[in-house]
Amino acid sequence: MNILVQTKKRLSKFLKAFFQKKRARIGIYGPPNAGKTTLANHIAKDWTGEDVGPVSEIPHETRRAVRKTDISITGSNGSNITIDIVDTPGVTTKIDYKDFLEYGIDKETAVTRAREATEGVAEAMHWLREDINGVIYMLDATEDPFLQVNIMMIGIIESRKLPVIIVANKIDLPDAAPQRIRSAFPQHPMVSISCLEGKNIEELYEKMVEHFG
Amino acid sequence: MPHRCVKCGREYRTNECEILKGCRECGGKKFIFVPLVEREIEPKHPEDVAIREEKKPKEEENTDIIPVTDYNRLESIRIVSPGTYELNIEKLAGSDERVVGVGKGEGSYLVDLLSMVRPKKKKNRK
Repeated sequence: MNILVQTKKRLSKFLKAFFQKKRARIGIYGPPNAGKTTLANHIAKDWTGEDVGPVSEIPHETRRAVRKTDISITGSNGSNITIDIVDTPGVTTKIDYKDFLEYGIDKETAVTRAREATEGVAEAMHWLREDINGVIYMLDATEDPFLQVNIMMIGIIESRKLPVIIVANKIDLPDAAPQRIRSAFPQHPMVSISCLEGKNIEELYEKMVEHFG
Repeated sequence: MPHRCVKCGREYRTNECEILKGCRECGGKKFIFVPLVEREIEPKHPEDVAIREEKKPKEEENTDIIPVTDYNRLESIRIVSPGTYELNIEKLAGSDERVVGVGKGEGSYLVDLLSMVRPKKKKNRK
């Protein structure tokens, strides 16, 4: 009897591996300090009750890509998606340890942080090249979206034919201008949110179910 | 054209046909053509030579270039100063990813994002 149960379990596992739809891996990309980890934490907390990683006001706090698996998101119409969220290090073309010194970090730590951040950029790009099926591109609504790195990243994502949702974060701040982001990338769906206050996050979930489902 | 006597080092300026007869100082018959750029760099008087030699060791102390001993370096190219580069041959040969280090020490980098998303080149099979 025991053997029969075991065989049944093995068979169902084998069939699952064959016929189950592969979960989509959604990468959260964007420049440093846009709020990627805050969003990843928000999503993970809402749907699994756990955090993804620590956040900080110092840029490049996330220097290794962190994956949170099996996040099941349900839309208002009842449709459901199960995804893996990959919180990636901030992508930028220039990293200088001197930028960290103003946050009170000593030189040695700043140099190490710069090195790790550069490795983090490379890791984020590897994920994009190999394992990502959809992208949430996160931007700080108080910053200029027309930066070379943003244009280049959106171009790379488009060239890989990946579905993308642009997220304008920090709309709680007085100088936020999400409209500027919308006009920069009118070809993609955009959601304006405040991760810190949890504003409009539901709208983002709806967009995620719609675009990554 | 400027020429210099190989034997005694005396220089003869443009259009001096007398070098055909030999050097005025030592009678040497061999002359070397001196390009203008080299002439600008080279000191004119022996005293200058002495001053330059004295200065040289100090300059070397100031440059403080880190020798390429750390093979775990992140960057494939380092711009030590304008016009001075260090190439990480191992990294350049190993991957197409380009990270450029800036300055003498570590901690400042420029990243070529496009080089990181290009598909890996397929090896030629014969």
